[in-house]
Amino acid sequence: MNNSMSRRRFLGSTAAIGATALSPLKLAQAASEEVSVWKFGGTPTEVEQWALRNDVFTAANPDISLNYSYFNGQIRRQKILAGFQTRRLADVIIAFGQDIPEFAGFEMIQPLDDIAGDKMAGWKERLVPEVMESGMHDGKLYGLPTYVDMASFLAVNLDALEEAGFDRPPATWSEVREYAKAMTKPDRPGIAFPATTAPVDINIFEGIAYANGGRIFDEDTNKVTLNDAGVVDALQLYVDLIADGSTPAATSLTETFFRDTAQLFGQGRSAMWIGLSWLNTPWGVSEGVRWTGVPFPRPDTASGSFSPVNAIMDPTAVLMVSSRAENPEAAIEYLDFWSQNEQLEIWGGQPEVARIPAGKAAWDNPELAEVWPNWVEAYNAGTLFAGAAPMPRFIGVSAIESALGTAVQEAVLGQKTPQEALDDATKAAQTQIDLIRG
Amino acid sequence: MQNDRFLAYFMILPVVAAVLAFVIGPTYNVATLSLTQVVMGQERGFGGLDNFRALAADPVFWTVMKNTAIWIVGGTVLCVTVGLGVGTFLAVDSRLTTSLRVLILLPWVLPDVVTAMAWKWMLHGQVGIIGQQLAATGLTDETISFLGDPDLVMWTLVVVLIWRKMPLVALILCAAIRSVPDDQLEAARMDGATAFERFRFVILPNIAFSLTAVTVISMIWITAEFALPWIMTGGGPANASQIMATYIYQQSFEFFNWGVASAMSVVNLVMLAAIVGLYLYINRRSWASEGDK
Repeated sequence: MNNSMSRRRFLGSTAAIGATALSPLKLAQAASEEVSVWKFGGTPTEVEQWALRNDVFTAANPDISLNYSYFNGQIRRQKILAGFQTRRLADVIIAFGQDIPEFAGFEMIQPLDDIAGDKMAGWKERLVPEVMESGMHDGKLYGLPTYVDMASFLAVNLDALEEAGFDRPPATWSEVREYAKAMTKPDRPGIAFPATTAPVDINIFEGIAYANGGRIFDEDTNKVTLNDAGVVDALQLYVDLIADGSTPAATSLTETFFRDTAQLFGQGRSAMWIGLSWLNTPWGVSEGVRWTGVPFPRPDTASGSFSPVNAIMDPTAVLMVSSRAENPEAAIEYLDFWSQNEQLEIWGGQPEVARIPAGKAAWDNPELAEVWPNWVEAYNAGTLFAGAAPMPRFIGVSAIESALGTAVQEAVLGQKTPQEALDDATKAAQTQIDLIRG
Repeated sequence: MQNDRFLAYFMILPVVAAVLAFVIGPTYNVATLSLTQVVMGQERGFGGLDNFRALAADPVFWTVMKNTAIWIVGGTVLCVTVGLGVGTFLAVDSRLTTSLRVLILLPWVLPDVVTAMAWKWMLHGQVGIIGQQLAATGLTDETISFLGDPDLVMWTLVVVLIWRKMPLVALILCAAIRSVPDDQLEAARMDGATAFERFRFVILPNIAFSLTAVTVISMIWITAEFALPWIMTGGGPANASQIMATYIYQQSFEFFNWGVASAMSVVNLVMLAAIVGLYLYINRRSWASEGDK
């Protein structure tokens, strides 16, 4: 008897067996509503906490199947764009507030006003208005913020401060130069700042420039304003600090991004560093290093053409619903879950998370007051968000920030003066903006 | 007979479909995109050569071209030259070379991200072990920021690239050298040829095909290499290490400027095809002349 099977019969049989085996799986999947979530960025503790709260959501919503993925924050635009083009975009995207105008312009995300219905009233009740505002674009809410980061701040090594004979951190730009020089030792620079082209490094610089009345773009005139005096003088401050001999070598500043700068400060390798509001809290410092964080000193006299701001802020975990969400109702349920006090409060008692909370109730948390007393005091006095503006956000922001990053490096390395570098950057960015914005 | 032919076509259909879908299709798509105004995912119509004109007017593009030439030509020449030297050494029979043939593959099997991060820290200006050792031995006055210095960064990247890519080149060439007939080498030795002459006139002609293949493959690998330079420098400082692969990525995924990015991809493809074509043409002529002899 011949038991051999023909090739055609083999192919046909295996295909049929495969289809039969997979069909019940498909039916089972269709039985529950699935909501896919992509979260980008976050400190290590935050990422851990977020996953734990997701378990609570899953337990409370057995009819919703949560498909949650976490990705590095630096690749968010690429990942989201690729997902959109291939029609594989997640239902809920947790990204940065700076992304909202471009994602909305691309029609990747939809206004929550149109789909959230009666949930909106609860969100407005539970969220700090200034923070909620940071999820809006063109008068509509596109994202639900869970916290904000602010720029720019200064971390100060308290031992180095006292050794240099100071009893308080610097308060003005001229004091920063004076303090940095006095705190410099042969093996330890007085101040370090990140000057790579990483977006956070650029945000840190923007915080200083905006406080000096600078802006990177004027939406009213569609003009790039990188060479405004407010930005030029802020860059001059970087250059002056290097010329004073208060920083690591300029070539090292351009290769060390924010996290590495924080870690070097934490190891006692610099006396101060310029960063965002979380400074060293996500990564800690070596034992024996005493430090404090303060808002970055103000310019002696603001020189920019625009109103100086106290800080710039951005919600870096804002929940957005994709325009191609297959289950918008389930997606809104997920957003609503994250608008509840229990979730918004997870930032309160977690110093490592180091974010400025979005929930009103979080500000009553005694642990938050213990960890961040200055924040709570300012919030209660109504001054925390006073004079704060959103971080730059408009269609084409990446192109301008990229040109700014290059200009900062050129000036820091001494290849061009701040004015020359920013004049060139303005010209290059304007060409890109004209192309992008048509 | 007819049925077998049908089955044969049917069996190769997946490969043909895959080539059409993953090679011809995207190439055609990129070529058409390069002639179209596409910004932020919105097509704004046929743009002719506008994207190419925009490229030519972009000062960064010419820096990118120069850096890419260093990256591809410098990287390939050094990779193959060092690989040939190491391969020749490994072809010698000894206990040392037997173990080295295995160990040398280590840099090649490490993931790109691990390699990039490890080198980034070793080369760091403040805490990098390489700069510290150079300063400690008195070779430099102070530690050097290899990746933060615009004058050093491009060649530093090439050195790391060679460290990573050379082992496989060396092993391929080692295998080719070991397959050179012993009688030819013996005859040359008996005729009084020196070691260099045996290498030049016996070994090199015998491994010419492998050398050509490995050069072309290295060139393609190096052109396509993205993770190493992107993770180590992000194209900085001040675009000093911006190469074609990183600039295309930046234009596409940071600025969403797909028309210009596609134009750059076309330039890249044409440039690579021209270099490889020229190289193959020269080699074929030399093989043909060898055959005539």
